Amino acid sequence: MIVANNGPAEAAFEPLLQLEMEMGTFISEWQHCDHLSSYLARIISHNRTDPVRHSNFFSSALNELLEVSFRSGASSGQVVLAIFRHGPVEQIKITFPCAAEQIPFYREAVSKVDRSDARARYLDSISTDMAPSRDSILLDLAINFDASIRFEEGPSPAVTLVVDLPLEGLVS
Amino acid sequence: MSAAALSPSFKTAFDANSQVFSLAGVIRPRSIDEIADSITMLKHAIDDVRGVLYLDVKRLIQMNNTAFHAFVRVALDACRARSDLRVVIVTSSVVGWTTRMFGHLNEIEPQITVEVYDSTFYPGQSFLEDTSFIPILRTQTKMTWRHERSILQRHGLRPGIAMADVCCGIGDFAVLVQKEFQPARIVALDHSKASLAYAREVAANFGITDIEYTYGDASEMLLEDNQFDFVSCRHSLQIFNERELLLKELYRICKPGGRVYITNEKNSHCLGEPRAQSIQWTYNEVAKLFSHFDMDVELGPKSRRYLAEAGFDDILVESFMVTNLDGDPQDFADVITAWENVYAGEMAVRRGDPPEFIERFRQGFRDHIFAALHPKGYAGWPIWVASGRKPT
Ligand SMILES: C[S@@+](CC[C@H](N)C(=O)[O-])C[C@H]1O[C@@H](n2cnc3c(N)ncnc32)[C@H](O)[C@@H]1O
Repeated sequence: MIVANNGPAEAAFEPLLQLEMEMGTFISEWQHCDHLSSYLARIISHNRTDPVRHSNFFSSALNELLEVSFRSGASSGQVVLAIFRHGPVEQIKITFPCAAEQIPFYREAVSKVDRSDARARYLDSISTDMAPSRDSILLDLAINFDASIRFEEGPSPAVTLVVDLPLEGLVS
Repeated sequence: MSAAALSPSFKTAFDANSQVFSLAGVIRPRSIDEIADSITMLKHAIDDVRGVLYLDVKRLIQMNNTAFHAFVRVALDACRARSDLRVVIVTSSVVGWTTRMFGHLNEIEPQITVEVYDSTFYPGQSFLEDTSFIPILRTQTKMTWRHERSILQRHGLRPGIAMADVCCGIGDFAVLVQKEFQPARIVALDHSKASLAYAREVAANFGITDIEYTYGDASEMLLEDNQFDFVSCRHSLQIFNERELLLKELYRICKPGGRVYITNEKNSHCLGEPRAQSIQWTYNEVAKLFSHFDMDVELGPKSRRYLAEAGFDDILVESFMVTNLDGDPQDFADVITAWENVYAGEMAVRRGDPPEFIERFRQGFRDHIFAALHPKGYAGWPIWVASGRKPT
């Protein structure tokens, strides 16, 4: 695992940290999702207005994204996580390997988040699904965390989710 | 009946008497199987319940979608099967996402409603979270700091440690500690958003950026166990009605070997000369007035017992007297004026005291001010300081 301070810069978003991990190591232990999200949330929240609550909120969102990566089914390649900040917004950019035939499902799930029936579909998923689908997790982020989500396709079979979280405004 | 299922990070419990099913801690299972016992427990609990089931999630620190869906499924199915059942989900205003996530359920199922518990929990809350308290706290801290700054080291405060100031008010104490003792980390928590906003502004004006001010409920903190070498809670144990609960939380976040430091008053021992009798009468009445609102401003000398019963060892207790001779006597007088305004002007009125009582009550404060400003006068406000070590 490498923790570096200078991830790839993006327009106006200042990099806070980047972490790369072998997929095999990552998925060796389910608890990694919880531990990483709690730990990283605390680091990036320390200079927010209310660090404790920001960290709690952020950890919730990050954990869901780590869990999605964990469940991608891939056991080789790397999971790459980068966190950026721009004003009151944190951006999580997470890339994980995934079988080529799976990629359209992620693209589809992300595109559905912006549709006008997003809320109705989220409520429907809570009300009928036994376990949360990929779709309903992304809807949860959009609806409960006011996230905006973008999809990018990697060079090798990989998926990148770019999630903007305006938590500073939500928390305080 | 009361039952509990434990895992390292989360806890479920059902109290059949109050029909409260509570979920606490961090619940992030990989699959529903991992929480099957808790799900079954919830189902059995619902079978037992007549009328309203309270689903208490106010100490739920984290819950992933897997767990959320599973627990919600049980509640929804139960409501669909039983039209007599109501489910009230009790969330906290501190953990913002629980209110948001659980808030949707009412749209799906009208038998489920969400209540945010901590908006009306403490009897003294409306007085103490009021902005009129801000100037009092400011001057009070300035006066107590003269004494405490030399006392604190004896109770374990030293550079480089991690500390929390619980019920920090407007945060002056945290700023003073930061400047004087340079701890490595300070978290300052309060339940008044107005005080915290003020605190952040004061810190910013001093160019202090590393105090972590956080909105929270001292009896249900989001802070993790065993994190702090020093946990202070000043002038606040005395205003809680559930003191044991607060002490348990202070104990929980303190590291083994670390210390919890509390300061409290014994208001009936406020004194002054001249006009001692009138002053004494009024402060005896202050104590009674607070106890009417379930607060104990006579707590100071009871600190030793409270700390011992909460499980601390190596308990140290001392007291000091803030007087009109410490600094500017006008500061002393200003504090008393503020007390008069809140105690006689607001609390006694709320209790429904007759005007003659309120007038006599006010007179004692005025006499205390008279004593403080009198060239030969003496006025005092005693404080008890106590700390205990969390056993290793
Ligand atoms: C008497 S003041 C003491 C403030 C500060 N420690 C000082 O010495 O100036 C009590 C403080 O407790 C806070 N408070 C009351 N109930 C609380 C709760 N449940 N959780 C956190 N803070 C609370 C109030 O907002 C207030 O700032």
